[in-house]
Amino acid sequence: MLKRFIIDFAYYLDTSKSYQKKKRFFYNILENDKNKYKKYIDVFMVMLIFVSVGVLIREVKFHVNDYLMFFSNYVISFIFFIEYILRLWLSSSVSKIIVARAEHDTFLHRDVNLYKAFKKILKVKLSYMLTPKAIVDLFAILPFFHELRLLRIFILFRVFKLFRYAKSFQTLSSVLATKKFEFLTLGIFAAVVIFVSSILIYVMEGNNPKSPITTLYEAIYWSIVTISTVGYGDIAPVTQEGRFVAMLVIIAGIAVLAFTTSLFVSAFTEKLDEIKEVKTIEDVSKLKKFYLICGYEQVACEVARKLSLSGNKIIIMDENQERIEKAKKDGYITLNYNPGKVESYEKLNIDMAKHVKAILCLRENDIENVYTALTIRSFNKDVFILSLLMSDSNRKKLDFAGINNVVYAQELIGLITKELVGKPVAFEVIHELRSENADVKIDELGITQRIVDNFTTVGELGNKDFRVVLLGVYKHKNDRFFFNPLDDLLLEVGDYLLVVGYQIFILEFEKYLHTKVRND
Amino acid sequence: MTNTTALIFGHNKYADEIVVNVQGKYQYVKVYSLHEEDLENSSVDIELFDLSDEWSEICEKVDIENSIAFCVLEDTAENIFLTISLRAHFKDLTIIAIASNKESANKLKMAGANKVIPLVETTSDIITNMLEKPISSKILHNILYEKSALKIAQIKIDKDSHFKDEQLTSIDWTRYNGIIVLSVMHEDMKSEFIYSSKAKHHVIREGDILVVVGYEEDIKEFENKIGSKRYVNWSHWSW
Repeated sequence: MLKRFIIDFAYYLDTSKSYQKKKRFFYNILENDKNKYKKYIDVFMVMLIFVSVGVLIREVKFHVNDYLMFFSNYVISFIFFIEYILRLWLSSSVSKIIVARAEHDTFLHRDVNLYKAFKKILKVKLSYMLTPKAIVDLFAILPFFHELRLLRIFILFRVFKLFRYAKSFQTLSSVLATKKFEFLTLGIFAAVVIFVSSILIYVMEGNNPKSPITTLYEAIYWSIVTISTVGYGDIAPVTQEGRFVAMLVIIAGIAVLAFTTSLFVSAFTEKLDEIKEVKTIEDVSKLKKFYLICGYEQVACEVARKLSLSGNKIIIMDENQERIEKAKKDGYITLNYNPGKVESYEKLNIDMAKHVKAILCLRENDIENVYTALTIRSFNKDVFILSLLMSDSNRKKLDFAGINNVVYAQELIGLITKELVGKPVAFEVIHELRSENADVKIDELGITQRIVDNFTTVGELGNKDFRVVLLGVYKHKNDRFFFNPLDDLLLEVGDYLLVVGYQIFILEFEKYLHTKVRND
Repeated sequence: MTNTTALIFGHNKYADEIVVNVQGKYQYVKVYSLHEEDLENSSVDIELFDLSDEWSEICEKVDIENSIAFCVLEDTAENIFLTISLRAHFKDLTIIAIASNKESANKLKMAGANKVIPLVETTSDIITNMLEKPISSKILHNILYEKSALKIAQIKIDKDSHFKDEQLTSIDWTRYNGIIVLSVMHEDMKSEFIYSSKAKHHVIREGDILVVVGYEEDIKEFENKIGSKRYVNWSHWSW
């Protein structure tokens, strides 16, 4: 009967949407780094840790307010206890284990063996409880029993809890973990040296009345202080034999220190790229809107420079180390990934629609650009892709690959020369309007509800007073451009004014449009 | 005097595009290549040339003084050498050259090219404009490359012109007969935006060139009204 109830309840939990939703919520705020609320929980926990450590320090010499003591001992402990229980709950799914066992046994036409399921639950929960982080969490709760004076020292475990929230420490431990074997060897070597030298020094000096080393504990203390090259000097050997041992320990100490330093350095050097990559990905996920440029060759360099000059964020992705180094040198966020692999974009973990303004395939190679575009289209149909076209015969392939806009340099040159030989002055004027260094610019001013409220028609705009030429109005609704519109043309939200003038006057005009209040 | 012949030095995709785009504007379009194999593999008539500084053969066949030269050799050094060689021999020849980047563009200008088109900069300008100002980019593109009814034209002020001796600011340019006057180029070969402080006090003289945007009919009407005509002359044009 009870067995049936447990199995049914496990199935219920496993399929209950509200239960799973709650579990996911707690998982997100406690464990999911990408969740925006997690950082608030983390900050809150860190503050609690500082409060309890502050209380511990003050308590050494001064009386601490009773309420604060109560808060530190009970309230904070209780919060940590809740956190511990939640983490234990989230570490694995009990219901899933029971359901899996039930299904396994039912499938094999056996009686469901709940004992095995419980054994497994105990095993997985225990394995979580024995992880260093869980142990620290558990010890941090112990000051709850502060009446036991010894347990109060466990407040210090709350400081260790900080490591849970400090990402740099996690990085450090992951880096050092790669040199586990080397550190183990070093540890064994140091332990053997300490063990042997402690015994030797004890044997040599233990019975000498002038020697400060009288116990084995003092001998071990002396060995550790010496091998670590700290050498306080409070205990020093006095016999010739003892000093000989000291010399050996000092030499071993230098070796241990040198070995440890080199281990740290090599571990970091090997992992440096990985650490930087993680940091870059973090930086990318923080960016709100950016252009992703795939390939960093001549045109890409110029495009990136121009786009970043106008305040855009640029990410460069290229599989070529040399080109990526150049992009890095030019000051961009770089990713040394292959733009032709889905995995490269998955690593970024970004929402294309939200974060990416456009993807620019700017390799000067049609095959690479088609490959990149197809890769992107395989997981995202909507993101805007612009690509360079190097050979006109490949235009169709680029269209098939789902590229929204193709730029073919040769064709542009043809058109430019045509215009250049026909109307050189006019060409230069238009060219100047587009050029980044010119004072006179062409700009697009979007019409907002506020502007429409204050300026109903084109005639009311008063652009002439700002020495700005109104080239025309673009009606987004019907994709039509009204060149040199008449004064009575109605303005609508979503329209764009195409204006030509000095940048500074255009800005003033734009400000005027947004701030003017109708005086009716 | 207008140019009658277009000389294209170099045979590649750029040359092909230039041939397609300029052949309607010139009586003769001649393509010259450094490589003999181009003679066989091309759809257009190609003649051979070399960089030996011997131009007499070409001079015999072509009226160089009334020609425009396009230097589109792929090798930058060769292109610069060709430009300097042409300039050394033909002082008044209009030379348009293609450069791969800004650095070689400067060298080509020093070598005497009247106009240099830097490929990388031009392409990147187009791309950034497409992304950052899509509407204006599309409209300017259509105006410039005559893909819409809107046109851009340059109109020279003749001695009988209606506007002659009038101050620029005294005329309502922006609302003149459906056309918009963007800028004016003075005799000193510098074009000024219509609202610039320099243009403000400028009195329109004979020989000034107005750059106007408008529909073909409006531009024609404007021409008739002010008694000036559309004008192209490369011979004294230099940047």
